[in-house]
Amino acid sequence: MENKLQFVDLATSHGKKNSHPGIEHFEYSYKAEITNLYPLTKTEKLYQIQIVDPRERKDFTFQPGQFVMLELPGIGEAPFSISSSPIRHGDLELCIRRVGKMTNFLDRVKRGTKVGISGPFGTHFPVEEMVDNDILLIAGGLGIVPLRSPIMSVLENRSRYGRVDIIYGAREPLELLFTYQYGMWKQFDINLDIIVDKADDKWTGPVGLITEILQKRIDNGTPNDFRKKTNAIVCGPPVMFKFVCEMLIKAGLPMEKMFVSLERRMHCGRGKCCRCNIGSTYTCIEGPVFDYWSVLNLKEAI
Amino acid sequence: MSAAYILAKDHLKSFVRKISKGSRLIAPVTNEYGDTLYSEINCLDSTQIDTQHQPQSSIKHFFLPQQESILSYSVSQAGEYHFSNILIGVPTVFFGVRSCDLAGLLYMDVIFSNPAKDPYYFKKRENSIIISLGCNEPFENCFCNATKSGPFLDFGFDLRFTDLGDRFLVEPGRKRGMEILEEFAYFFNDASEQDLKDQYQLQLESRSSFQQNVHVDLAIKKLANEEVGKDVWQDLADRCQDCGGCAYVCPTCTCFTITDQPVSESEGERVRSWDACTFAGFTRMVGGHNPVSSEHSLRRRFLHKLKYDVSLHNRTSCTGCGRCVGICFGGVDIIKFISAVCES
Repeated sequence: MENKLQFVDLATSHGKKNSHPGIEHFEYSYKAEITNLYPLTKTEKLYQIQIVDPRERKDFTFQPGQFVMLELPGIGEAPFSISSSPIRHGDLELCIRRVGKMTNFLDRVKRGTKVGISGPFGTHFPVEEMVDNDILLIAGGLGIVPLRSPIMSVLENRSRYGRVDIIYGAREPLELLFTYQYGMWKQFDINLDIIVDKADDKWTGPVGLITEILQKRIDNGTPNDFRKKTNAIVCGPPVMFKFVCEMLIKAGLPMEKMFVSLERRMHCGRGKCCRCNIGSTYTCIEGPVFDYWSVLNLKEAI
Repeated sequence: MSAAYILAKDHLKSFVRKISKGSRLIAPVTNEYGDTLYSEINCLDSTQIDTQHQPQSSIKHFFLPQQESILSYSVSQAGEYHFSNILIGVPTVFFGVRSCDLAGLLYMDVIFSNPAKDPYYFKKRENSIIISLGCNEPFENCFCNATKSGPFLDFGFDLRFTDLGDRFLVEPGRKRGMEILEEFAYFFNDASEQDLKDQYQLQLESRSSFQQNVHVDLAIKKLANEEVGKDVWQDLADRCQDCGGCAYVCPTCTCFTITDQPVSESEGERVRSWDACTFAGFTRMVGGHNPVSSEHSLRRRFLHKLKYDVSLHNRTSCTGCGRCVGICFGGVDIIKFISAVCES
């Protein structure tokens, strides 16, 4: 092993001013505005956020699965998954649960509030590479939030994909997100299965664990399809990953075709503050989207 | 190193005064309480530069201060906000930087330049002149011979001083060091063959007088291929008090947190401050979920230094300064950990 320090050569930049042209862009954030917000459930709200400058808005591009840092001067900065379609560029939608200091503040803001957006950061779901294949989108709870971006992306290019399934589990019917879009998803020839842990009076759908629906889906498909032409995107609490992914492996799905999005606390988004690393892997740079093969090789990932 | 020069000890003060003219001078000074620290020297006549003791803190905090305002913001009545970066870089001469601290600085250069260049750090870094000092005698807890970052680090400095008793041997490193030597050539004489031999002898003696015998290479090899026993972690975790002292004195611990601190309704500053991975809330997310349990936070710290950075940068980020060994009152030190790994 070559046990030597690599070092950055500063010799050439000594005494010169502005030797890094990108220096002022390091902390660059787009000025944006909350154009609309509406509650989806008791604790979650959908925020439509628009980058103010029309040109910047158009130039802002991201891939499904990536995240942005949303900043509120004086309150703080936090990472959020984008849950709108990539074709909408800098006209973002973020679904945010009221849970901490910053999100509680966000809960109280009104239309027209100015915020900052920096990013997009991280890796994405390779939906482009899934063309011609079947896609299984599996979400548990808030996991539907980062999943909505690939869903929209697939909807917009529906003819390029094979069978598309969304399996979505929530604790109770009142916690279901994006209920107003289910009809549209179904109309686009997507098999949408929703299951809740605990039903209420009005609930007519199935009750139980997400794995029950998945088992049915697996029983309906042929092993050959799972092996050759199926991709899976899984988002949810870590305990769900394990069970769902194990089932998919058993069904014959290759691990490198299963994608998960990991959650970690992040402060800088630039691989420096050391908070989100799993071993030597920085989630903000090499994640948050990983294929399951890489996840299994990361200790303590789930 | 192509050239070496000799500076008489009597001329040290005048030389240091010359090169630090118009800039801040930082050098190890022993204060009235007996603590040796890298301190700002305002008056060289009344302050003695201490070249005999190891400074208790590294030079990290001059580049990544414990608390640093990185930008200020203002919010107008209409809710429009404005940010302006606070980039502070006072021209600074560092004299008497030990090899371990220099190695730590070189490591920070890597961290703060990849993948995005951190302007706040580099503003300070580019305004600095580093004059390092080889260690003739290793201190109590030093093991920089094992981490290959000392006692005489051969690169990264602008000038390197070696104490040859009645004179200093001065070698230029980076371009800026060469320029200094040219500018103040009247201070220096060319080094003779004998001077270089003396330096070589000193280096040999220094290398052979380490009190700590730490097998860093073996530990790195073992960590790369094997799991560390649960009892090793448990033993360390039981004794760790979560004080974060090890991270604060470490020349390569750069974890930080960012907070907005309002000064008034409409104005405030964004502050970057030190954090430590041994703190319980370091990785805890807002919903209360913490992917790293408390006994694993120590694992993060040790494996980051000895395993993850080896796989990322091909080199351990422990520089062998031994400060965390001296500061920990729970006895959770990296030397013990390395020994435990080697023995298992």
